Amino acid sequence: MRITQYLASKLKNFSNLPKEYIERSKKQVYWQTPRETNYLPRTVERKRFRYTTNRPWTGQFRQQNMPATMRRKVLIEPVEDWSFFRGDRVEVLVGKDKGKQGIVTQVITERNWVIVEGLNWHYRRVGADKDFPGIIIKSEAPLHVLNDIRLVDPSDLQGTEFEWRFTEEGEKVRVSMRSGRIIPIPETNNQTHDYKTPNAYIEREKDTPAAVVGEITFQPKLSTFEMDIMEEMGIKEERTPAKSYWY
Amino acid sequence: MSATLIKCLNLAKTVRTSTIKSLLTAPKQQWQTLCAAALQTPHAQMVHTSPMRHGLMEFFDDPKHWSENDVKVGRAWRTEELRIKSNKELHQLWFVLLKERNMLLTMEHECNDKMEIFPSPERVDKVKISMDNLEKVVRERNTAYHLLETGETGERPQKRVNNSFGLQFNYKSCEHVLPPFMNLKWIKSRNIGFGGRAVNRFLLKYREQLYNAKRKAKNRSRNEVMMILRRNPNFDLGVLRRKFPDVDIDKLRSADKARGHYVPKIGV
Repeated sequence: MRITQYLASKLKNFSNLPKEYIERSKKQVYWQTPRETNYLPRTVERKRFRYTTNRPWTGQFRQQNMPATMRRKVLIEPVEDWSFFRGDRVEVLVGKDKGKQGIVTQVITERNWVIVEGLNWHYRRVGADKDFPGIIIKSEAPLHVLNDIRLVDPSDLQGTEFEWRFTEEGEKVRVSMRSGRIIPIPETNNQTHDYKTPNAYIEREKDTPAAVVGEITFQPKLSTFEMDIMEEMGIKEERTPAKSYWY
Repeated sequence: MSATLIKCLNLAKTVRTSTIKSLLTAPKQQWQTLCAAALQTPHAQMVHTSPMRHGLMEFFDDPKHWSENDVKVGRAWRTEELRIKSNKELHQLWFVLLKERNMLLTMEHECNDKMEIFPSPERVDKVKISMDNLEKVVRERNTAYHLLETGETGERPQKRVNNSFGLQFNYKSCEHVLPPFMNLKWIKSRNIGFGGRAVNRFLLKYREQLYNAKRKAKNRSRNEVMMILRRNPNFDLGVLRRKFPDVDIDKLRSADKARGHYVPKIGV
């Protein structure tokens, strides 16, 4: 159990989209060899993407990664245990809001970024035209998790260093280095785009009810799937297949 | 009638027969459902009704979803949920999923055709994941049966063989009427073994390409480590060692490129 806990990141997928969809939606295949015997299977596609606050399945992401454009590589420091979750109270260590505390609203693991609510913001002018000056909106800039923020100890509400430790029950927790108190992972981390808590999910027309999903209808039986279905449908196969060779 | 509809007509011939067959044999419990909803409160009562038939309009989504920006559905079926279901139910679910996939792909095509936004395209992937998982579970059951009865998996036999270019590929066996030594056509058609100057020269260059790719990947990770160390001199070396196992980190620490552009603190 410890090994699985150690390997699994505690960060929940907020978008609740399948990984396959995210991969598919950002894919840019320029050329692919025909699937014939005289071709080696080769694909020419975009390998490096510039990840920003625009999520990979959005149109803005595609606009920033237009086909045949190249941008400088961004260095990403490897982070083993992701430690900043949505709803965490953090202290900002850089910028004009240095020393202030805020709540993490968004996590962007591709760049080791978090966005803290109402901190580290700047104004952006949107929709400016020849006749129209545009609208000014306030937007938060992302903060780097390794250098720009640190967690806040819940006992005294001061910024602190922390480390991952195991409790007696084998649960992996974040522990404040100063006070030794556990910094719990906030409930907001479990929220997704579709529901706040799993219980609050509104059942849709095509969803299978949870009770039906959990129902055990499997009866072990000495037959293959096909044999079972044939028996179910009353199909009787009397013929014996001719001798054949597999090679 | 649009081009899609005409295509659908052709598709319907194949799909409909199979779906109807499965529906007829199992009128008792029909799942009009596609996705397993995430943990919910127990449902009150399943209403058993025979599904509505709309003819070709079954290839299209409910008209109330046509103008929406997103159609919300639950997640895909997981393997552990499918493992507890009977063969009959898996068979029914397969056709429910197949119909849903046909519907989604038709809608996607039609939306593209009409320059509309196809709402929630991740539904296609959810159905695909469910179908893949279902197939995996059925295969597991069949393999278990065959291993128990015959000692073999019952899968199509495969082996790695070299083609005439000396490259390895997966040879999938076929079923033949004649045994191999009598099957002259097969003996003549197979290209086993390789040789000759041209093939050797090709292999030399091919292996050089593979070697270069490996070498470049190694250099790239080496450079990456140096850049990380240059920007963060106090970076956790354990993490780096685990992330880049084939890079000699201790040697790189003293490398010139790994040194930042600042005066080092001495005697602090």
